[in-house]
Amino acid sequence: MLAPVLAFVVAIALAPLMFSFFISLTDYRLTDPTQAKPFVGLGNYLKALQDKAVLETLGNTIVFTAGAVSSQVLLALMLALLMSGETRFMRALRSLAIMPLALPPLVVGLVWKALYNPQFGPVAYYLKQIGLSVDRGFLGEFTTAMPAVLVIDMWQWTPLLMIIFLAGLKSLPSEVMEAAYVDGAGRAQVFFYVILPMLLPVIFIGVLLRTMNAFKVFDIIFATTGGGPGNATSVLNFHIYKVGLTFFDMGYAASLANILLFMIGACCAVYIVLLRRQRAAEF
Amino acid sequence: MRVSRVEDAIRNVLAILVVAFFLMPIVWLFTTSFKLQRDTFQLPPLWLGFQPTLNNFAFAINQIQVGRFVLNSVIISAGTTLASVVLGTLGGYAVSRSRLRFVSASSYFFLVLLMIPPVAMLVPFYLIMRDLGLLGTYWAVIILDTVYNAPFVVWMMSNYFRTVSTEMEQAALVDGASHFQAFYLVALPLAVPGIIASVLYCLIFSWNDFIFALLLTSPTTKTVPLAIMGQFSTAQLQWGYMAALSIFAVLPVLLVALVLNRYFVQGLTAGATKG
Repeated sequence: MLAPVLAFVVAIALAPLMFSFFISLTDYRLTDPTQAKPFVGLGNYLKALQDKAVLETLGNTIVFTAGAVSSQVLLALMLALLMSGETRFMRALRSLAIMPLALPPLVVGLVWKALYNPQFGPVAYYLKQIGLSVDRGFLGEFTTAMPAVLVIDMWQWTPLLMIIFLAGLKSLPSEVMEAAYVDGAGRAQVFFYVILPMLLPVIFIGVLLRTMNAFKVFDIIFATTGGGPGNATSVLNFHIYKVGLTFFDMGYAASLANILLFMIGACCAVYIVLLRRQRAAEF
Repeated sequence: MRVSRVEDAIRNVLAILVVAFFLMPIVWLFTTSFKLQRDTFQLPPLWLGFQPTLNNFAFAINQIQVGRFVLNSVIISAGTTLASVVLGTLGGYAVSRSRLRFVSASSYFFLVLLMIPPVAMLVPFYLIMRDLGLLGTYWAVIILDTVYNAPFVVWMMSNYFRTVSTEMEQAALVDGASHFQAFYLVALPLAVPGIIASVLYCLIFSWNDFIFALLLTSPTTKTVPLAIMGQFSTAQLQWGYMAALSIFAVLPVLLVALVLNRYFVQGLTAGATKG
């Protein structure tokens, strides 16, 4: 029964990847009228290692992923603890809070771009009212562009983590916590020594899901900053899109994509080792 | 636990503030879609007490003809969801039940697939689709969307099937059912919540997809997000039009998500939480 999906995925996912590896060894430009594809060996890869824009966007990718995952996991954990009550009112609030994750990231990006707009945007307006200077808008300044984009990502994806953590919290055996209270543990102690360790597997899943998606962020950057100002918010994923599908330098884009793939693969390997260890500990 | 009334009140207030933060942009989008151009740029922002208008929606329906984009989005997300859930449920069942090392190890392979950055696929996929003459058809987008969604469903469903007891299936096998019958008649009905969750995620991902549609569709197969982007780049500050168009992209999936919100975590945490 695995056969259909395996066949489909191998044919459709692996074939392009092989093809992509082949293209990455050539100097293939769609704009080249002769459509020659001279073989350049590892030339594209060597070029990438010295390409300033590539190194910069690679750094941005790491900053974005680390920033997004850590801030969202922490915030979602706090929100899950805050909103874990089983009153009717709290349940209603929870179902409202998950709305952001159903929105198209592109629309989310456009809406926030408008909210941040330095002249007419509500967010900029209220911040100006409390005395902050907005200048060219948060998305237009080198120092604030990346944090501003991170806030958008946080707005959209923290709710998903929150409901995952809530499901984890609800499944914890209450006897253990009650026993800890009876033994005189304070709330903080119960959280750090009882709840947190038991919640780790769920947190792990949340980190995994968000890491995978943060590496792939594209839509909100496309919609808000287009990678700017300069390259301040250009992540590697976005840079590759520009090289390959707006400049049509396919060979170089393919080699960059393979580098990104390799990095993600390394993260994957770490994850799989951890997962196996966890499974082994369970049985 | 010792929970006082004061603490309950504080919790409620904080929770309201949090929800207000998560709702504010959505409220802004909905109100802006009903605003006249002059009210859109009013400061302080008019959250209530503006004169509502349907002009923006009239523009979206008549000028932009958003209907055909909605239809394209429906075709692409329905096709993707159907293909992904059928393939993924079968695969997930096989992964969760097989004792062959190769099959259970393949669940890692599916996770790796999920992590492939879209651009890494897009460059070669764009060229292949061009050579096959499929560029600009529904097929190109549905196939690539399915490549990303099916592995996710495999992963979720294999987690979900692991939490479903195998005893009944074994009883069915003893009574002479084939493996496929045991799956179809016994395991599948028990896995309905996981399947609903899978449908929900596939719908959200494929309906909201932008990058695949951006590169693989033609003017006749464009989806709603592309129509919004097109409008936004031609008329920078037409927030009213942008908002009205966005409502068409937001509302269908938002309603589905609100109705099915209790299914969101099915299959995601199964395995990590026991129960």
